[in-house]
Amino acid sequence: MGSRKVVRPELFPARWTCRGNRGIQKNIWGCKGVIRHSPDIMPVCEVLLDSGSSLPDDTSLEKLLDWFSGLIEPGEGGALLEAHPCLLEFISAVVHKPSSDPSVISFVLKVCGLVAAAEDAFKMLQAHSILDLAFNHQHWHRAGLWEDPCVRIGWIQGLRKMLQHLEALRFFVQADLIPELLQLQTDSSLFVVSAANQLLAHILLFFQPAFPTRRNGVHMEHDDMMSHARITETDLPEVHTETSKCYAAVVVTILEYINESLVTKDNSQLRQSRQILKVLVPLLAQAGPFLRDKLLQSVTDSLEELVTAGYSQLTLPLMDVILAAHSSLSPDDPDQRMGRLLSSMLNVNKPSDLIHAAAAVLHRGHQDTVHTARAVRILLLPLDIITGHTLLGTNTADEEHQCSMAEQLKSKTSCISLICVCLTNAPHVTLMPADILPCPPCSIVAAVVSLLSICSGCVSSSSSGHAEVFRNVIGSSKVQKCALEAVTRLSSSPGVKDELTEVFTVLIRYLSNPDSDRTIIHKSYQALVKWTIVCKDLSSIKDQLRQDLTDVVKKRVCDMRWEVRDSTVEFLGQLAGVLKSPEMERDTSEALLDSCCCLTLLREALRDPESYVRASAIAALGQTLAHSWQQGAALTQEQTDVVNQLLEILSQDTEGFARRAVMQYFLAWFSSCASHTSPPSSSRSSLLMSSLSSVLSLGTADLDWEVKVHSLELAELLLDKAFSGCPDYRKPSERPCASLHPYAVVSDQTYAVHRHTPGVECDLSDVLNNLVKQGVVSALLSGLVDCDRPVGLKACQLLISLRETVGPPSKDEVNATPTTAAVAKVTCEVPSCGWGKEIRRILGMKTCDEDEEADLTADECGDMRKQGKGEGGRSVSVSVCEMLRSLGLDARLDILSQSSDHVHNSPLSLLQDIVMSSATHTQTNTQPGQEVIVDCY
Amino acid sequence: MMALPYITEHTGFTGTVYATEPTLQIGRLLMEELVNFMERVPKSQSATCWKNKEIQRLLPCPLKDAVEVWTWKRSYSMQEVNSALSKVQLVGYSQKVELFGAVQISPLSSGYSLGSSNWIIQSHHEKVSYVSGSSLLTTHPQPMDQSSLKNSDVLILTGLTQMPTANPDGMLGEFCNNLAMTIRAGGNVLVPCYSSGVIYDLLECLYQFIDSANLGTTPFYFISPVANSSLEFSQIFAEWLCHNKQSKVYLPEPPFPHAELIQTNKLKHYPSIHGDFSSEFRQPCVVFTGHPSLRFGDVVHFMELWGKSSINTIIFTEPDFSYLDALAPYQPLAMKCVYCPIDTRLNFHQVAKLLKEVQPLHVVCPEQYTQPPPSQSHRSDLMLELQPPPVPYRRCSVLNLPFRRRYERVYILPELANSLVPSEIKPGISVATVSAVLHSKDNKHTLQSVPKPPPVPPSKKRKRVMEEPPVVQAPKPLLSGAVPLEAFLATLQKHGITEVKVEETVDGHILHLQADDTLIQLEEDGTHIVCDNNEPLRTTLRDLVLRFLQKL
Repeated sequence: MGSRKVVRPELFPARWTCRGNRGIQKNIWGCKGVIRHSPDIMPVCEVLLDSGSSLPDDTSLEKLLDWFSGLIEPGEGGALLEAHPCLLEFISAVVHKPSSDPSVISFVLKVCGLVAAAEDAFKMLQAHSILDLAFNHQHWHRAGLWEDPCVRIGWIQGLRKMLQHLEALRFFVQADLIPELLQLQTDSSLFVVSAANQLLAHILLFFQPAFPTRRNGVHMEHDDMMSHARITETDLPEVHTETSKCYAAVVVTILEYINESLVTKDNSQLRQSRQILKVLVPLLAQAGPFLRDKLLQSVTDSLEELVTAGYSQLTLPLMDVILAAHSSLSPDDPDQRMGRLLSSMLNVNKPSDLIHAAAAVLHRGHQDTVHTARAVRILLLPLDIITGHTLLGTNTADEEHQCSMAEQLKSKTSCISLICVCLTNAPHVTLMPADILPCPPCSIVAAVVSLLSICSGCVSSSSSGHAEVFRNVIGSSKVQKCALEAVTRLSSSPGVKDELTEVFTVLIRYLSNPDSDRTIIHKSYQALVKWTIVCKDLSSIKDQLRQDLTDVVKKRVCDMRWEVRDSTVEFLGQLAGVLKSPEMERDTSEALLDSCCCLTLLREALRDPESYVRASAIAALGQTLAHSWQQGAALTQEQTDVVNQLLEILSQDTEGFARRAVMQYFLAWFSSCASHTSPPSSSRSSLLMSSLSSVLSLGTADLDWEVKVHSLELAELLLDKAFSGCPDYRKPSERPCASLHPYAVVSDQTYAVHRHTPGVECDLSDVLNNLVKQGVVSALLSGLVDCDRPVGLKACQLLISLRETVGPPSKDEVNATPTTAAVAKVTCEVPSCGWGKEIRRILGMKTCDEDEEADLTADECGDMRKQGKGEGGRSVSVSVCEMLRSLGLDARLDILSQSSDHVHNSPLSLLQDIVMSSATHTQTNTQPGQEVIVDCY
Repeated sequence: MMALPYITEHTGFTGTVYATEPTLQIGRLLMEELVNFMERVPKSQSATCWKNKEIQRLLPCPLKDAVEVWTWKRSYSMQEVNSALSKVQLVGYSQKVELFGAVQISPLSSGYSLGSSNWIIQSHHEKVSYVSGSSLLTTHPQPMDQSSLKNSDVLILTGLTQMPTANPDGMLGEFCNNLAMTIRAGGNVLVPCYSSGVIYDLLECLYQFIDSANLGTTPFYFISPVANSSLEFSQIFAEWLCHNKQSKVYLPEPPFPHAELIQTNKLKHYPSIHGDFSSEFRQPCVVFTGHPSLRFGDVVHFMELWGKSSINTIIFTEPDFSYLDALAPYQPLAMKCVYCPIDTRLNFHQVAKLLKEVQPLHVVCPEQYTQPPPSQSHRSDLMLELQPPPVPYRRCSVLNLPFRRRYERVYILPELANSLVPSEIKPGISVATVSAVLHSKDNKHTLQSVPKPPPVPPSKKRKRVMEEPPVVQAPKPLLSGAVPLEAFLATLQKHGITEVKVEETVDGHILHLQADDTLIQLEEDGTHIVCDNNEPLRTTLRDLVLRFLQKL
């Protein structure tokens, strides 16, 4: 959605309204450090000062702030004030005028902080007594604006931006802002609380004394800025005595607050405790020794108290803090309090808290062997109990937890939650070193497989699992999904290949189970593919199992649910891709599924009523046949039929997905044949080449822009192949000026042909003639004038490449070689309607029958072109080189390279929006009958 | 329903049978079909020697394991069917039917099939619900009426699904998948089924599936002597259908989409394989026909025709028969066999939810429901776990339902009610004594005024005196209230009784009037004066006590 822009010259200097001068605009808007060229913001400041409430939308001020942030280099806030003297006045005026709109005040506070982040600008603002007033919360209290959360947010974020240097810290302390900041830690607005938390952490971390780099893998956000702001330990006594006092005072106050707020008096304060714990995690992870020691001294008692209290809601944040603290200390730390706290957390008697604490140990990559081993045992406990597989041995130390866990598992809700945590972590557990694991990874796989069997109701009477728990997991799709995900990930665990048959058996059972929902079937297929990839040796899979898989696939490809049919054909393609990938060359007898059977199923799926399934079937066919393309095997009748079917889909299918898939099929085929070293069979090659012309013409005439882009990609491959011997040819992607637009269409698959070996001369005129005959040039020309920008862009890039390769510098060049002369004679038919008409218009051509043609509708043109009548009757032959030179391709590329919303998203547009919105607002106020007309699209 | 003639025609039954209209009509169709199937292949003689135990044990399975073979009966005739159905009295959902004045019965929709019912049996103070085959799934019949089952003293739970592990949705999917797979491979599909019930849902499901599976050109045949009636009957019982289908009637459209299948010639129905069918038969095709036991009916012919080819498939959908037993006589069989029992009746999970919702005081159910199936002893999810535990019963066991009838409703005639003089004993509670004649007839009790004795003519016949009703004496007033101890002692003292020793007991107090050797027991529900040989004192004491009590 957006509003239509009308540039009003009276609001801005003339040069900004000149649309033709795009080069200048791009330079100004696109680069930092050119503040002096930025537009006059005075009108905007005036508008904001007068009528902040009439903003076009609530993101305008955010965008304006982003623009300011982009303009300012770190530490150069003063430059912004110099470039825009009105900004200082504006800030001052808003600060002194508390009747302004709260959103404008918030914006001004943030701008104030942004500017004051540079010391020189800070001093300038101080000299104008702006900062004292702006960050005096009492001032806003008195004006009754402090109640508005956006003012409080502005205050916090302004401070956050400003606190980048020691002067700012000094100001912060002297203005006694810290009590208010602490007050805001318990604000009613969650956003304010979060921002206040971050500011607290920022102050502690940013100004802490420098320390030798030991970051525990944590990314330090403000590295550059910190280097000059941080108080070094040597600095403390001498240079920055006053500042260090400031910092010390801040630290003491904040730590006191943290310590007091950490321990809750009752349940209602748990939210506050959780917030403080969340702040503590980054603090501990990033703090230097000085701050870390202070923090630990201050909070350890409170942490112990919280651990003893055993609040379930605090388990995870508490674990995060303890783990952060524990890993920040050296292993030989004499004070083992954190270690003891960790042990306590891994010994609580509430199974749900216990398992979450254990999961946290694993997630945070804790290095301590003892605690990790303990966490692993806890995580495997539910699986051990339910399945009866002795994963934990006969260790009696877990007996107490075993009882409470078993009891908890009898409740359906907690059972599902516990087992899901266990399953989510099981793959991670198997990757642990052997001395930490209580059992080999294959036992864990066996247990998960057994759980999957239980979930589907297959419980053998000899099962030693906990029968009372079975009722909670039988038929639970959540547990089934979790277990299937776990099985998929477990495929990459060491030493689990022996379980292949069991895994296949249970997965095939899931696939054939009538009650399996679509997600479960999809996940089962994914697991099968993953295990097939990992286990290179499939000889252990018995024939019966292979037959079962074939049967189930045959059944599922007829399923009532299109999602299941889609997953099935996708699986067939993936399986073909896996089994035939070069690194997994296998004997055909090892194939899990008979390839003939697969091909038949996929061909049937091409007639599926659901377009997604058809598209997947086409993709799967591509994967299935890729091997024979690469091998250059002889063409079979079946493969010819497939090509005919695909061409039929491309010309007749009503859905874009299927047609896109067909284009990708041909792209992959052509790319594969062109790049593979083995000689293709002649029949196969001729089928491909004869199809390409139809594919190109159908693809470029398609209504779907992605299909058209794919056609151009095919044209690009044909160009690559045609010019492979030509040293002047460079692909668009290799061109230095080719920059990819963020919205540009990129194939998820890179198609490429092998470049020809140098030294082989190519006859350019022949090549060009061939390209014209194949329809490549027509495809590019029609793409150039296409209404879809990505299509035009791609076509333009390719035409420029073509021009650079074949086009002589000028037609008047007297020294034209015979080759260039021959090339110049190559012509191309430009039809008189459709894209041809547009091309002719660009070329400035006028034909006698143009008026008559104007009466032809686009459909008629399309029909004629398809029948080959249009070109024959009224088309004209135009020299390709001449055309390439005259189409103004460079200018066109310039236009097409810009996103369609580049005007809409420019700062100039933003400023205009704000000013015009105010004007409209004023008008609306004076003329109540008039409505604001906004184009929505 | 199918056994009704055996009950009404062979047991001396003289009562009334209550049934809903679809039950009657569709029941008639099914019985008619059965009789037709049987009469097509009349047996010249019946063999009974094999029933001798000595011979029976020599027979192959499953005959040698059959029990009570002497009780097996021949199939009934159409005449018996008509006779049985003539005893049926039609009832509608929620209609109340009085049985001997003792109880009211009322059918409720059970959601399982057209006209299928659960029953409420209630007196004025007790309510028993009988839940038979019921379904909570959204299929064609009216949804199950759950709310009327609330507040039951006892809920008798029967007719749960025979296939607790087979989810009907999954089975329906399986049915369609296998059907499509066979047709695509050029084979035929045989579906042995009843001519009413699940077949409507199967056809509806196929109606949606045909196009998505590219089966548009495959013919579907429904062969049964009652095929036409069944398909048409289903369309006219609009009031017994689910809301969606009911609303179609007002469009107007046929409620079931099989009408469209018939119109477009995708579904064709025939009374038998002879006649038109043989000339229009085209393969590959899908055939729905009976009988699902595979022992008689047109299905037998198709088994013979298609059984030898592995490209054909037989798909069992009826849960009533073991498919292995059904197929036993046809072995060896090349045709593919798929078992997709579609049983939409309640499963254990649904029952648990239902009972949580309706909260009966007690549940009575077959013993089998209270433990996991013997073959799946670990499946603790396939049993009922209730608090209090359900009362199990076995076949032929006689149960005392776990409640006692404590109250009976008695009506008072208006003129009698008019004569009552209520007095308020507590705020909002008034009491009156009534003297009346209790008149009981057909389990209805009415209090009528006591007829006044006719004035005796002074001069006439003394002999008639004997026939006159006894003169009813006015009843003694009923006392209520409590005797307050302190006030009573004060009163005693006022009357000169001073030497009173008060002893506290569990139920009240004992006052010992030591001077007179008299005891007064003041208890919550009675006062006793034990006073020997001192009638004046007893009378005085009685009067003193009466001062504190209310008289009715």
